[in-house]
Order: sequence, then structure tokens, then C-alpha cells
Amino acid sequence: MRLPRTFRTTPFRLTLLFLALFAAAASAFLAYIYIATAGEVTRRADEEITREMNSLEAAYRQGGVDALNQTLIDRAAGERPFLYLLKDAKGKKITGSLAASPIDEEDADSEGERWASFKLTETDMDGAIVKRPARGVQERLPGGETLFVGADVGDSEAFVVGIARALWGAGALVIILGLAGGVLVSRNVSRQMTGLNDVVSAVRSGDLRTRAKIRGARDEYDELAEGLNDMLDRLERSMGGLRHAGDAIAHDLRSPLTRLRARLEAALIEVEAGKGDPTKALIQALEDADGVLKTFNAVLAIARLQAAGQAPDQSAFDPGELAADISELYEPLCEEKNLDFKAELVPQLTVKGNREFVAQALANILDNAVKYTPTGGAVMLRVRRRSSGEVEFSVTDTGPGVPLEDRLRVVQRFVRLENSRNEPGSGLGLSLVAAVAEAHGGRLELDEGPGSFDGQGTGLRVAFVMPRFE
Amino acid sequence: MRILIIEDDLEAAEAMRRGMTEAGYECVHAPDGVDGLAAAQKGGYDVLIVDRMMPRMDGVTVVETLRREGDATPVLFLSALGEIHDRVVGLKAGGDDYLVKPYAFPELMARVEALSRRRETGAVATTLKVGDLEMNLIARTVHRAGAEIDLQPREFQLLEFMMRHAGQSVTRTMLLEKVWEYHFDPQTNVIDVHISRLRSKIDKGFDRPMLQTVRGAGYRLDP
Repeated sequence: MRLPRTFRTTPFRLTLLFLALFAAAASAFLAYIYIATAGEVTRRADEEITREMNSLEAAYRQGGVDALNQTLIDRAAGERPFLYLLKDAKGKKITGSLAASPIDEEDADSEGERWASFKLTETDMDGAIVKRPARGVQERLPGGETLFVGADVGDSEAFVVGIARALWGAGALVIILGLAGGVLVSRNVSRQMTGLNDVVSAVRSGDLRTRAKIRGARDEYDELAEGLNDMLDRLERSMGGLRHAGDAIAHDLRSPLTRLRARLEAALIEVEAGKGDPTKALIQALEDADGVLKTFNAVLAIARLQAAGQAPDQSAFDPGELAADISELYEPLCEEKNLDFKAELVPQLTVKGNREFVAQALANILDNAVKYTPTGGAVMLRVRRRSSGEVEFSVTDTGPGVPLEDRLRVVQRFVRLENSRNEPGSGLGLSLVAAVAEAHGGRLELDEGPGSFDGQGTGLRVAFVMPRFE
Repeated sequence: MRILIIEDDLEAAEAMRRGMTEAGYECVHAPDGVDGLAAAQKGGYDVLIVDRMMPRMDGVTVVETLRREGDATPVLFLSALGEIHDRVVGLKAGGDDYLVKPYAFPELMARVEALSRRRETGAVATTLKVGDLEMNLIARTVHRAGAEIDLQPREFQLLEFMMRHAGQSVTRTMLLEKVWEYHFDPQTNVIDVHISRLRSKIDKGFDRPMLQTVRGAGYRLDP
């Protein structure tokens, strides 16, 4: 048999546990209060009875049995709520409000005081017979008479019982309210958990697009939901990236491979007919194969960086020095293409990272700038520290730029804008830069360059931002 | 030149062996680390080509064992692993060069030749001489047929590397690795531009150009 869902939840179980602990503690507490109160009531009644007994004994000592008898008669007629019974030495009742002593005769023979609790039978105002608790003491007087003094303790005892009953009632109320609260809390909690669990099982069955609902309560469930959603975003992105890369690799490798195959086939036919140049065909085939290899290596590098999540072998280095090094590598290329190349490098900065990967990222950005900036344009490399402490490598060119709506897209793998299809390249350059930036906790930013003039494009500003060095 | 190929991919090893035999080198192939180590220990090789991942004993262990035994034969590691970290591990184990699979055969050939040459040239030379081109490594001057050639520091390094490997093909990747110390493939022809600058300095005004472009491989400095 399975319990209903609500009763199996952790919060409900915790509620039960706490209620059990509370009930145990409350019982001990109630028992203590009861014992202490009841004891106190008895003690007080005993004190009053003893005082009465003493005063009666004093009357006996002064005036003997007759004086005592008179005092008893006086007192019984008064307001005093005591019960009396005076018997002579032979046990015959002399006077008193009780018919018989609640204390057994044999016991009464012994010396000293005899205490007893007993039930007092009374007829109340409606004529019904009620039994009320009473207490009393019996003593043998020097003349052989026995005197019993008692008191009705019914009211005091009723008070104690009332207190106990109220306490038990309160306890029961607490337990009922606690249970109800526990059910409510666990319902609420399980609703949250059910939402999250639904997301998890949806993901398990392959749907990466579901997201947990954020209720805006900013509690730990929202935090968990946010974390889960963030994780799913990343997962979806990298899965999407993988799928996209798979398609793109197929696409990008298929066309050169198809071309390679077609060329070889054509060359074979020509050579068999005795009119082709086999060397030329083979050289072309080799070039095609090299192109495929380059694409393949770039994809592999990106995939590895993304899988590792963090660039390997990081160390502190001077970004200005690295940029100077790369400038030196690219400057002749700019000159050859008649581009005005400038570098503005702030010295003495420090970043932490994999120098090799950062160098490659920078080289890729410069490669693009040189490739897309028309002859006569300018390329500018800057290294500086932002006010946030981040270090920024930026390359600004006067090329056609990238339209705002395409800026996110060009970073994706294999995306090449229409007008750049004819340029050589794998379409993986900026994707690798973005992967390197991400693997260093940094990012890649694309902006408009210096603006259009002379009929040129707006230019492009690519910033590779690395986090502040701690 | 005798080359020992320790490689478990039989087809790749056979292609390598054929290419190298074609180039006039003597090749021996060992199909795994244990056999390869035994063959290398017999000695008599100029260069070892060692695959990193092999059955029975991996390439790093083979090379570490050889180096411990005092064998200094140049080693070229081949690996399907390509990350910088892997390269560092390979070089630390005693490898002299590192080539990531898949590679182009001219790249492999150029590197093997460079390794064999390294052994021949003593490290103490203060001048290099190729044909009528002379380089003084201490004064850092270059003369061709007596006329001084003014070179930028990087051009000097580039020429030094070409002179040390005169008569051999060197690839663009090798130049980027050995002269600039970067281990990536630039998308554009950056190296070509540097070479053409260097070429204009050393060959201009001479009827016989020394710096040759080798199709499908890279460059070669001829005496």
C-alpha cells in the first residue's frame, strides 16, 4: 500500500518528526505542571487543616471536652468549610458534621496523627448525590477522645484538573494545527519540486527546450530553477553548437571532398585518354585535401576548448608584449596590401591565460581585418585596460563592417556573410576567437568601426576582452 | 640517413616508409612500442619517428627509456592529440619535435630532415655560410658576396633558420613554430610576406635567387 503523495514528501515527514518531538516535550511539561500543581493544592489544604486542628486542641487543653464540643458546634455553624467529628473514648460520636470517621477504627487506635484522602458524599442543590474529594486528619486527644478535622478540597482539585484539561486541549490543538500546516507546507513544496522534476524528466526524454518556471519569490526554489534553466541554456547551446557543427562540417567538408573527387575522376578520364596532365591534377587534389584538413583542425580545436571549458596551461603574461609580437608578424602583410597599420599598446599590463591560444585568437582577428579591409584602408591594434580592470585587445578596421543583425551570427561556426564567400577561409576564425575568449572567462565583442567615409563600409571593431588579473 | 618508424597504424607507416624510401632514406618499421624500443636500443638510426599512442608501450615511455639510457637520437613525435599540453608532455619526455596527425607528408619530411641536420651541425658555430651568403652570429651581420645586407631582428632569425637548414625544404608551419614560436596555422599567407621581404633583401641585385619556393611544401635556401 502506498501513501498518498503528500504524505510521502520530505517536508511532511519532517513535520511529523517535529510534531512527535513536540508532543513528547509537551507531555513531559504537562506532567510536571500537573504534579507540581496537584502537590501544592494538597499541601495547602493540609496546612489549613493542621492549623484548625491546632486551634481546636488549644481549646481542648483550656476547657476540656466540653469546651471543645462547644467550639465545634460554634464553628460548624459558622462559615468555616471544615468537617469535624469528635468521638469519646469508647468511639461514640459526641458531635460533628460527619457520621463516621473516614479513618478505620483499628488504625485510629495508634498514636499520633492519621491523614486520609476520601470521598465526601453530598447532596447538591438539585438533590443529586455528588461525591467530592476531601482530606482530613484524625488525632487521639489526651482524654481518650478522637478528633477528626477534614476539608472539602473539591474546588482546588477541580482547578488542577481544569488546568490539565486545558493543557491537553492546547496540545491536541497544536498537533492538529501542526499536521494541517505540515500538509500545506509539503503540498506547496511538492508543487515546486514537481515543477522542477517535470523539467528534469522532460530533459531526460530529450526535450531540451523546457524550462522551469521562476515564480519571482527569490527563494531557494527560484534559485534552483534559475540554476537549472541556466544549465539547460548552456546545454542547449552546446548541443545546438554540436548539431550545427555536425551539419556545417558535413557541408563544409562535403563540397571540397566532392570537388576533389570530381577533379580526380576527370583527371583519370583525361589521363586514360592520353591527353591529361596527371601532375597538375594531383597537385590540385593535394591542395583540396589540405583545405579539408585545415577546416577539420579548426573544428577540432574549437570542440576541445569548449569541452574543456577552460583553457589549459594558463600563466600570467604581458598582453602588450604579445600584441607587439603579433603586430610584428602581421605588419608586413598589411604593408603588402597597402593598409595603414598602427598599434597602440599600453605597457605593463598583466593577464592570465594560455598565451598560445590568445595569440591565435589575436592572429585570427587580424587575419580577418586584413582579409576584409580593402586596399588603402587602415587597421589598428590596441591593448588597453578598461576601467573595470578587464584587459581589452581590439582590432579596428575600415572594411565593410558587419551589419548589426549579423554580428551575433558571424561568431557562430561556419557562418560567412554572403559577400565574403569568395574569400579564402574556413569560416571558423571568429568562432575560435569566441571559444578562446570563453575559455578564459572573457568575451568577444563586435562593434561598428570608425564609420563610413569615401564610400567605404562602416568598418569593424573586434574586441577580445579578458577578465581582470587577480 | 636511417629512420626508425615506430607506429602501430600499418597503412600510415607503409605510406611513410614508401615516401622516405623514395626520398632516398633507409626506413625500418616497428609496429608497437616494445618492438620499437628494442629496435631503437640496437642503435644506428639518425631519426626516430614515434607515435604517441601504441599498444604494449606508449611512445612517451619508449622515448623516456631511451633518454634515460643516454640515447640522444632525435625524436619526432606523431600524435592524434593536438593540444598544447600534449605537445609539452611529448617534448618534456625527450621528444625533439612534435607533429599532429593528420599531417601532410612534406611537413613530416621537412621536419625529419631538419632533425637529422640538427645532429650534424655543432652548436658552437659562430658563422654560417651558404653559397656566397655569410652570417656572423656574434656580430649579427649578414653579407652576400661581400656586400652587407641590413636585416631586421626577425628577418635575421628567419634567415638563420633557413641557413641552418640550407638545401632542405622548410614548411610555413615550421617557420612559425621555430622562428616565431607559435603553434597555430594562420589563415592568411603571413609567412609568405615575411619570406618575400627577406628574399627581396638577399636576392635583389643577384642573378641567381637563393630563396626558393617549394611547391606544396614551403621554402628552401639553395647555395
